[in-house]
Amino acid sequence: MSTKPPASTIDLRPGLHSPEVFRLLVDTVADYGIFLLDPAGYITSWNAGAERLKQYKAEEVIGRHFSIFYTARDLANHKPEHELRVAAQTGHFEDEGWRLRKDGSRFWASVVITCIRDEGGNLIGFGKITRDLTERRAAESRFRMLVENVLDYGIFSMDSRGYITSWNVGAQRIKGYTAEETSGKHFSMFYMEEDRRSGLPQRILQTAAEQGHFEGEGWRVRKDGTRFWASIVVTALRDEEGVLYGFSKVTRDLSDRKALLDQLNRHADELEIRVQEREQSNAELEAFAYSVSHDLRAPLRAIAGFAEALQEDCAKDLNQQGREYLDEIIKAAARMNVLVHDLLEYGRVSRVDLQLDPVNLREAVDDAIRQLGNDHGGSLALHISPDLWVRAHEQALAQVTFNLLSNAVKFHRKGLSPEVDLHAEAHNTAVRLSVTDNGIGIAPQHRERIWQVFERLHDRETYPGTGIGLAIVKRAISRMGGSCGLESEVGKGSTFWIELPLAEPEKEKVDPNV
Amino acid sequence: MSEGPVLLVEDDVSDFRLIQRAFAKIKPSIPMFRLTHGDEAVAYLAGDAPYENRSLHPIPCVVLLDIKLPRRSGLEVLEWIRTQESELKRLPIIMLTSSKHQLDVNKAYDLGVNSYLVKPSNNSELEQLVSAFRNYWIDLNEGPTL
Repeated sequence: MSTKPPASTIDLRPGLHSPEVFRLLVDTVADYGIFLLDPAGYITSWNAGAERLKQYKAEEVIGRHFSIFYTARDLANHKPEHELRVAAQTGHFEDEGWRLRKDGSRFWASVVITCIRDEGGNLIGFGKITRDLTERRAAESRFRMLVENVLDYGIFSMDSRGYITSWNVGAQRIKGYTAEETSGKHFSMFYMEEDRRSGLPQRILQTAAEQGHFEGEGWRVRKDGTRFWASIVVTALRDEEGVLYGFSKVTRDLSDRKALLDQLNRHADELEIRVQEREQSNAELEAFAYSVSHDLRAPLRAIAGFAEALQEDCAKDLNQQGREYLDEIIKAAARMNVLVHDLLEYGRVSRVDLQLDPVNLREAVDDAIRQLGNDHGGSLALHISPDLWVRAHEQALAQVTFNLLSNAVKFHRKGLSPEVDLHAEAHNTAVRLSVTDNGIGIAPQHRERIWQVFERLHDRETYPGTGIGLAIVKRAISRMGGSCGLESEVGKGSTFWIELPLAEPEKEKVDPNV
Repeated sequence: MSEGPVLLVEDDVSDFRLIQRAFAKIKPSIPMFRLTHGDEAVAYLAGDAPYENRSLHPIPCVVLLDIKLPRRSGLEVLEWIRTQESELKRLPIIMLTSSKHQLDVNKAYDLGVNSYLVKPSNNSELEQLVSAFRNYWIDLNEGPTL
């Protein structure tokens, strides 16, 4: 390490050039210890910098041998003599190393010894310039320690062609090679055979040289031949003139993360396949339910049809009992017809492709009221603004509303005509439609199961029905991204509510021909 | 409207007898000819044996076509009729089926059906349907040249 004296402005006018001025300059320099040695190494001059560095005053040190600044180890190796010999032979000697202060403490010195000869070429002594680089060395050392001791990152450096020049413990941990085993080897030794053959290591260095750095992930090989998934950053190292002198490479072993990611991807793929299978089996199930319901209807039509024909055409040939039996057949067939209809409806709202559009709630409710007809013997009160729109499937929403309405009028208390209140309001992003009746109410223990298919709380004579209506409500509402629930008091009545996402009104369809 | 009969293609004998009973209730009666599967319907309309005698088996004025039929389905018969070169392709076709499935309905209209009716589940509704059918398709509707 060469140490340049500090730059200073020197006046070159005659007079300033005198030896006295120069001596004054040397004497007062505080950052550099500058002193002279005689040919044998005894100190003959001492400046302020030397005093500051080494703690000796001039009178203490002049006449003593300069080896007093050296450590016992250096003395044992005859280092002071060696330095003077080299300086005498080559003109000067440069070195960095530990030196001792007067109090025995060490400092990291940058030393330049210059050989001084007279005009005849005879050795008359040495000039020695010493600088304290302890702090810089400590910083460098801290940094080196840091790099060397990083375990999670393999950090090493290479020369400009990719031959390894340094190696930290992280690199050893990740790749399994010691520093000795990799020193001077080409870094392509860590690459997979096919990557080496395709020239990947060279491309990485080329990219780093051209763009400053290279980042990537890929499989690498450890000393024991096993693979690991590496995340790497290669950075080009350039000197002050911009000349490339090597590369640093930071490697992380991401095998665990890679394995997790791969596993995640596999799970995602499996899930995808399962969803597809499920969609397929849903479609098959739907087709099955449809054809079962459909095929059930044909014999049902025959039973109902011929029973009615019998009643109409041959009633006079039957006695009272026969006519009653016939009545039962017709009623059972009608019931089964409703059942098949409801099952078909349940299957329909379970379909995966329930198309959702903005639907006017009031119109859907009006539709349901029309389906309900007028012979329910109750009264309906509507509190639904005509400008409420929800995101729904129009037919399914009408069906849901119809089911709630028909339940509300059906489950009335004996001797009390049904009064049903329909109320809707928007809050935030949803619209809630509540259907409140003055009926029999539902005991708390039944409030969960009534939403399931074929769940009934009453015998058929008291309250007819298939037990599918609320299951349709629940399924359809959930298919439309909504929610439903109830509040009820036994003997007072129930409020069933559904909630659907609020929608922007459907734009008026403009006929371009008008 | 053409002088031909109503051609009913219906495999289910119960449905056939109930439809026949409903037809019998309307006055004046209209002639009806029943076939039980799709291949028969195609043979009848093409005039293939055993239906080559047109005085015994005249071209119908309208076809009531079930969808679920043995061999050739109602939709296939419909497609066959609509792709004929002759005037036969104009024949008024009405699906009379128990399927309300939107796929079936749309497919039938895509193939050019004239009307789509669903079999009612009781006799009185069936009689209303047959009566309405007669009023519209036999009495009111202006049929094509066949």
